[in-house]
Amino acid sequence: MINKTYQKKHELWLSLTFASFAITDEAIKSRLYDFAQIAFRHMKWLGLDILENDENYNYDRDMLLYKRDSVFDIIEALVKEVEDIQSIYGDSNLAQRIKTDDIYLLEYLSQILKDESNNKAITAFNMKREWLDKNLSGEQIDALTIFLFEESYKEYELILVYAYMQARTQNIKEFGIYQDLIDESHFHLKSFGNMMAIMGILALPRELHEMTYVIKDVKQFIVDGIAEEEAAKVMCKELSDAIKDEELSKFFDFINYQESYHIELMQKLL
Amino acid sequence: MNNLNDETLENLMEPKNYGKLENPTGVGVALDEKTKEYVIFYTILDGDIITDVSYATNGCQDTVVIGSMYSDMIKNNNLEYANDAIQRITEKLGELTKEQKVCSDIVFTAFIASIKNCENRQNGEDEELHVLKMKESCEATNMENTDDK
Repeated sequence: MINKTYQKKHELWLSLTFASFAITDEAIKSRLYDFAQIAFRHMKWLGLDILENDENYNYDRDMLLYKRDSVFDIIEALVKEVEDIQSIYGDSNLAQRIKTDDIYLLEYLSQILKDESNNKAITAFNMKREWLDKNLSGEQIDALTIFLFEESYKEYELILVYAYMQARTQNIKEFGIYQDLIDESHFHLKSFGNMMAIMGILALPRELHEMTYVIKDVKQFIVDGIAEEEAAKVMCKELSDAIKDEELSKFFDFINYQESYHIELMQKLL
Repeated sequence: MNNLNDETLENLMEPKNYGKLENPTGVGVALDEKTKEYVIFYTILDGDIITDVSYATNGCQDTVVIGSMYSDMIKNNNLEYANDAIQRITEKLGELTKEQKVCSDIVFTAFIASIKNCENRQNGEDEELHVLKMKESCEATNMENTDDK
């Protein structure tokens, strides 16, 4: 039987993560991202618990990312989502830990709502497709847009696929490598998500189908993954060359070098 | 699809008919063995009418957009319309690159596979899904394009 608590936690992790991307206030953004990472650890622990009990979970979702207009609209929706999930955690020690984390999250959200000056307009969904005050050409903006959609999905996919594999390995070395790869993809998703919000094109990565994450041949999966990382490097390089902006080019070169080390990490799994 | 218009952008941000479908009458997969890219298409047929569809893919954004537009176009239409719809999309999107043509082919092939699965099930076969392997690969067209340069 598929576990619903896991699904709801997965959805909450995404809601917190994308709320963090959508909100421009740096203090709120940063704090929400911390809570999103806590929610992701909840997911990880729930997953391990579920497998220990000979049950299973999947990455199905039943959610939309609503194009909300203000910070309070986002925060109020988060409050409702966190409150709604409380009744399904159960009574285990893990459930108690998760509940106390969530209670503190609700307290933090209520503090935001008490200060009207926090209620700024949200521009993350306005589809303006402008990069800060830079005057990028239409072609460069299109290239950046496609890159951000491709790569934000890819990083989300990698986080979940590696987490799925990590939960199922008994090998400590492999566990550690998967953790490194997950951490790296979190950073990339955060970088790309925040860029999408700046451009007004923030969107949830699409749902993963089990054909993507239920891996039957791990070795082949790693070989294919290395080829994908190589392709991502090429895409980064092309974008870096195409975008005539020094800051952005440097950023894509930096991401490109990180992809190189992912390949090293993945080769250790072979 | 060379210029990202609002419609393409909307389909990127929120692809239509994306995900799984409960109780489909047919499930089809089109698979690019070189890149491992796939499209899975779920179809519910009532006689000749496609009453519901959905799709999922691990492919690129072009595949996502074409899947979104195609599935939206054929929903509540008949099979003949669905067979012509891919051409209509191609016309709508303008001149496609070789890679984009492979993307539209993989979407259409997945739909065809889902219809084949419907027929096989109707003929009493116990087939969970029908898989069709792609003849053209995105990887091959990428390499050709690289060679062109």
